[in-house]
Amino acid sequence: MHGPEPVTIPLSTEAMRANLLRLEREWEMVQESRDRDAIYGYLTAVFELVVCWAKEGKAVRRACRALYLRRHNSEREPEPFSALIRCTADRGKLDDRMTSKYSRVLRYAAEYKDLDEPLRNFIKRKGGINKCASRFARRLGRGRPDRAGMPRVSRSASPP
Amino acid sequence: MKIRMDKILREIADQAYYAARLRRNGVQPTRDRVFAEVLGELEANGDAMRFVNAKGRIAWKATPRLRDYLQDLELEAEEDLEHEF
Repeated sequence: MHGPEPVTIPLSTEAMRANLLRLEREWEMVQESRDRDAIYGYLTAVFELVVCWAKEGKAVRRACRALYLRRHNSEREPEPFSALIRCTADRGKLDDRMTSKYSRVLRYAAEYKDLDEPLRNFIKRKGGINKCASRFARRLGRGRPDRAGMPRVSRSASPP
Repeated sequence: MKIRMDKILREIADQAYYAARLRRNGVQPTRDRVFAEVLGELEANGDAMRFVNAKGRIAWKATPRLRDYLQDLELEAEEDLEHEF
C-alpha cells in the first residue's frame, strides 16, 4: 500500500541521549509554564518518539536502552510510554500513578488517533486526560491482555 | 530507499551531499547514504528527530532547538542589515 519502508537509520547512544534530553526539556517547559495545556507539548513529544520507534519495530528494545542509560531498574519488557516518562520527567513531580495515567492515555491515542490529528485535539475531543485514561482501561487495559501493550501505529479508526 | 525530511534538513543534507561529491576519492557516494549519515549525526547532536508522518511513514524533521536557533540567526541577520542602511 505504502511501498517498501526505508532502511532504518540506526539510533546511536548519542542520539538516544539527545532524544531523552529533548523530552526532559519539554518536561521542564511544562513545569515552568502556567498554561494548563502545557502538558500536551510533553505528551506529544513522548508520543511521537514511541510511535516512531514502534513503526521501526524497536519500541521495547529502545525503551530498555533508555531505562539503562538513565540508570532506572530495567525490566525485561518495559511498556515504552511509561519507560520514557520515567526517564524524562522529574520523579519528584510525577509519581507512579500519574506516570501510569499518562501512559494509558498515550496507549489509547496510539490505538485510536488518526495520524494527522494533533494529540492535544484528540485527547480533548475524547473528554480529556482522565477520560482517555479510563477509556484505555475499559477498552484495552486489564482483562484485554491481547490488546494492551505495544502501541500500534494509528489507523484511521474511531472507537465506538 | 527513500528518506523523507523537512525543508530545513533537506537543505543541510543536500549541502553535505554536494560536499561529499566534491571530496570523493574515486568512490561516488550515494545520496541516500550521505543523507543517512548526516541525519544520524544531526540526531545525535539533538538537531533532528524522526517521526511518523501523516501518511504513516517514517520521516525526519528539525528539532525545536534547531528551529529556534535558525530563527535567532535570521533575526540577527535582519537586524544587522537594518543597521547597515
